[in-house]
Amino acid sequence: MGAQETRELLPGTLDMLILKVLSRGDMHGYDIASAIQRASDGVLGVMEGALYPALHRLEVRGWVRSRWGTSDNNRRAKFYRLSALGRRALDEEAAYWDRVAAAVSRVMQSV
Amino acid sequence: MKRVVINDAISWWNRLLTFFGAGRRARDIDDEIAFHLAMRQAEHERAGLAPEIARRAAARQFGNVTALKEQTHDMWKFPSFESLVRDVRYAFRTLRRAPGFAFVAVVVLAIGIGATAAMFSLVDTMLVRGLPYPQADRLVVLIGNVQRAGGVERRGNSYPDHVDWRARATSFEDMAAFTTLNATLQGADEPEPIVGEAVSVPYFTLLGVSPTQGRGFTPEEDAVPNRNAVVILGDGLWRRRFGADPSVLNRTIQLGTRTYTIVGVMPAGFTGVSDTAQFWEPFAQSGAQFDNRGSRGFQTIARLKPGATITSARAELDTISRQLATAYPQTNDKRGVEVSPLADVVLQQLRPIVVALMAAVSLVLLIACANVAGLLISRSDARQREIAVRTALGAGPGRLLRQLITESCVLAMLGAVAGMAVAQISLPSLIAASPIAFPTFVQPQLSLRVLAFGIVMALLTGVLLGLAPMMHARLPRLSDALKTSARGGSSGMRSQRLRSALVIGEVALAVLLLAGAGLMIRSIQKLAAIDPGFEAANVLMVNATIPRQAAPPAAPGTAAAAPAPFVSSHADVLDRIRAVPGVEAVSLASDLPFGGSSAVFYSAEGDATVAAETMPRAYVHRVTPEFFATLRIRLEAGRTFLPSEERTDSQAVVVSHNVTRRFWPNQDPIGKRIKFGAPGSQNPWLTIVGVVDEVKYRGLPENPTRDPDLYLPYVDRATQGVIVRTRVEPSSLTSAVRAAIRNGNASILTFNAQTLADVVAQQSSASRFTGWLLSVFAATALVLSVVGLYGVMSYLVAQRTREFGIRLALGASREEIVRRVLRDGMWRVAIGAAIGLAATTGLARVLAGLVYGVGTFDISSLLAVVMLVVVAIAACGVPAVRATRVDPAIALRSE
Repeated sequence: MGAQETRELLPGTLDMLILKVLSRGDMHGYDIASAIQRASDGVLGVMEGALYPALHRLEVRGWVRSRWGTSDNNRRAKFYRLSALGRRALDEEAAYWDRVAAAVSRVMQSV
Repeated sequence: MKRVVINDAISWWNRLLTFFGAGRRARDIDDEIAFHLAMRQAEHERAGLAPEIARRAAARQFGNVTALKEQTHDMWKFPSFESLVRDVRYAFRTLRRAPGFAFVAVVVLAIGIGATAAMFSLVDTMLVRGLPYPQADRLVVLIGNVQRAGGVERRGNSYPDHVDWRARATSFEDMAAFTTLNATLQGADEPEPIVGEAVSVPYFTLLGVSPTQGRGFTPEEDAVPNRNAVVILGDGLWRRRFGADPSVLNRTIQLGTRTYTIVGVMPAGFTGVSDTAQFWEPFAQSGAQFDNRGSRGFQTIARLKPGATITSARAELDTISRQLATAYPQTNDKRGVEVSPLADVVLQQLRPIVVALMAAVSLVLLIACANVAGLLISRSDARQREIAVRTALGAGPGRLLRQLITESCVLAMLGAVAGMAVAQISLPSLIAASPIAFPTFVQPQLSLRVLAFGIVMALLTGVLLGLAPMMHARLPRLSDALKTSARGGSSGMRSQRLRSALVIGEVALAVLLLAGAGLMIRSIQKLAAIDPGFEAANVLMVNATIPRQAAPPAAPGTAAAAPAPFVSSHADVLDRIRAVPGVEAVSLASDLPFGGSSAVFYSAEGDATVAAETMPRAYVHRVTPEFFATLRIRLEAGRTFLPSEERTDSQAVVVSHNVTRRFWPNQDPIGKRIKFGAPGSQNPWLTIVGVVDEVKYRGLPENPTRDPDLYLPYVDRATQGVIVRTRVEPSSLTSAVRAAIRNGNASILTFNAQTLADVVAQQSSASRFTGWLLSVFAATALVLSVVGLYGVMSYLVAQRTREFGIRLALGASREEIVRRVLRDGMWRVAIGAAIGLAATTGLARVLAGLVYGVGTFDISSLLAVVMLVVVAIAACGVPAVRATRVDPAIALRSE
């Protein structure tokens, strides 16, 4: 766990990742964190706590909704679900990300 | 940009929803994070770590738990107070840099919010807070009515009916009879006519008002026919006559010829259900005919029992009415009872007026908002560069929006403060100047509720106004905005469209208000044009009370007992008035126009009508022979009375036109006979000696009922109306006429001197008051919308300076430029006017009951449009002419 790993994601990226993960179905925070970690082969696994301010920001904005339910191991857990508004936001963010990422990598390769 | 606005709104709403659940949310966040840590720890343990190490690893992976919890919680918080203060301070700074804009916006908003708050305080005192009694919504008035051929008519209650209702009905906690009384207060230098109420015992407890001193009446005091001379004073009378003496109980007061013992004093502000009473007597002293079921006059007030509703009470009284009709068919056939909330009875006339005015004033506020929104949009266009810079420096769209909303809220608040101040100053004078009588409890003041209303209106206006420029704007890019050529881009086009929509809306609303005012004015004209059947100009009316020479001992149960002569005969009174210079004619009548008289049943010889619904009924007046000449009522046939007929046993009668039309349509009515009561009654036959036109003697624009009038010869009586036709301005003779009536005799009382023209005008006062206020609102609307139009057109012309310069340079004539600008402005006006005109069809519903003889679509609506178009042409014309003054060379260089 070196200095490199504590570096933050690009601003706004975490929101997009959360929305993306939630587009597969309802999940609680721990599952979301694990899913991001798994899908990124552990690259994006650090500072899990940052997930929660982001989740609540999305909830205030109306992009995700939450409810309390029971987890697989029978504990009380808060589940999040993507709202219609959040789905639309995800599409836009993803499209934007694709453009920017492609542009950035083009620049990185051309020089 | 629109998305940002929506997102912001959702965020605020979501925060608001959970605003009061902050404690619970903190616990939820704790739980949520604890769950996460526990899961992670469990996973590490499964991987073989010791529990304590697994726990620490999970925590490290999570980050700073406390800080993150706090961050999460903060997501739900509203922007802090400090940042609000910063925003407000910044808003003030911005506004100070544009003082002209700020001033206009604040004044316009002050007009809108001030007028709305003023009307709201009226609505609040009258319709929301309602009557000043505890649980006033359970108070009802019972009014006896009768089913006649023309419909159901209110009549009044008889004492035996009242007693039966009270005994049989179970829907009410209690019932009380009440009626107004006129009395003469003696004892001071000059006798004074005062108004009181005769009320039965439960009256005060039922209303929930108790005397501040002494007590209410006892059942013994109200027992019929026992006549205890006791009285309860109103606060005003107690202060005026007894200097607020705290030991006034058991002292006496002289009312008319009798001496009353004071048993109580009512609290300040209480003036009875009639809203005029200065004293109260037991109902037993009301002079009602207590054993006559057919003699109806007073009303009954009642309080519903907790379970009962108006509907159930009506049903029960319907049943009782049917029982009474079966038991007493002579007097109670077709008789029913109306059960109405007391508030409806008291506020009946005012409610539609206040509602119509509130609607009008809301439209004015809308126009004001549209106006200021237009101003803000132009300003935001001008501020594109500032906004772009702030964006480039890192202000997010939400932050900018908040700043704009703060700015417009500051404007609206300033407007509200100014407006409410004006409203509070002007409202009392408005009520004082109002020709319609507001109930005395209506004393609008700066209540917390009005204040809250003003603040809410201001905030609402502010938020809407702040959103307006954002709805059309796109977030400007710094590079674009800094380039001067960015002007006239898509944002400019869009803001133009929004401003056009605002102007169209303003014009439509202004047309609506102008048309409303027009309808009222037309209706007032029609009211004024009504021929009442008499000539109201140059007539003075005075009420006079002339006592008998020696006050008879206090035992007169009936009016005809022991007739001592009056201190002055009516012939002498007439002679004295006739001698006053400037008097053309004078006559006496038992009742004056619109002063109230009672109806009697009569029958015509040879007519066999018996059904209660169609039994002939008429209003009776006793008049001196010159009566018809004095009021200039046309004599259709026959003659007026002869002096020799002025006796109680005279059998001459003058009838109004409808009597002869009903019974002798194609015959000479002179010499035909009628009598009071049923054809078989013992009353003597009366011979018709004259026929006069129908007159609107009891109400304008129409008499309350279509019944005709019967005139009988005058005989000396205690109370009378004096009608004087003058050759000079009638009010100038008031004191001379009063002196002539009194002739130095202090026991003769004269009161209520009024010109007939004034009394006629009062009949349409509600219409005139509403029309006047509506005209003020409409004028305001016209000015505001024209200012809005002018603003848009000026802006438009300024933007096209360069275009006009090119056109002029290429040889376009100045007329062409003017035409172009006018066309540009007038299509907006045309659309707005069309919409407004279409909306006027809904006016009739709002103004129903306030307008007379005016249809839904009146010529005045078109006049309103014409008026607006004329003013609009002027508003477009000024910028148009300015456009032609452009010097092509300068215009082309101006970029």
